[in-house]
Amino acid sequence: MLGKIKTKQEKGEIIAYSESAVVNNAAVVEYCRISMAALSGSTAGLLGLTGLYGFGFYIFAVFGLWAMLLLKAGGQWKKYFISRRNLLTSGFFGGLFVSFIYDFYMVWYMYTD
Amino acid sequence: MPATALHKFITFIGLMSILHTAYSAAQHRSYLRITEQEFIALPIDVRIKLYLQRMAYKIFTKRGKIGYILIQGIISLFIVMYGVMYIAGDFKEIRAVVDLENKSWETLRNLPSFQIFSHRGKSLAS
Repeated sequence: MLGKIKTKQEKGEIIAYSESAVVNNAAVVEYCRISMAALSGSTAGLLGLTGLYGFGFYIFAVFGLWAMLLLKAGGQWKKYFISRRNLLTSGFFGGLFVSFIYDFYMVWYMYTD
Repeated sequence: MPATALHKFITFIGLMSILHTAYSAAQHRSYLRITEQEFIALPIDVRIKLYLQRMAYKIFTKRGKIGYILIQGIISLFIVMYGVMYIAGDFKEIRAVVDLENKSWETLRNLPSFQIFSHRGKSLAS
């Protein structure tokens, strides 16, 4: 399928993006983000990190995921993503909630008598 | 690069490592709890000595052990994420030109709804 075409004007030059490719990349990133949130929440929980330490761990995990996604793109992120900052910040709060739920569950499971 | 058996194996190893970390943390936790319960029952002079020993243990051993578990947890998290990232799928080039490069004008003319399979060619072939 051809998919829709999305355009963006940059310095007087129009760049056309394939929407199906953009959606495909966003879906891959979303899958990674949800997995990362769940896994980092569980890890923080079993390490006994709660409160501000747990939040710090989540921030660390988000930056780690960002670096790994850029690594997967192989240094040519402009070929696969429209914005690099958007890659870092999108879905931050959704991931935070998922992470917190897993964190609380793991702490409750591991550290309550 | 699509996901291979290697990536699934890496994910599996990482998950096993996370489980091992959880086991170590639980074991360490219960060991601390058990040792603390023992200290309460002992006489006062032994208790002071043991308290000093416990402080030394806390400073040298517990921190070291916790640090080791922490590092193992973080490393195994990143190992799992590496595997999951490849299992999630491949990125596609977002520039529309790249998508159109592989297609000819014939592709645009192709209308599947108007394709006919029941025509005279069938009886000619038999």
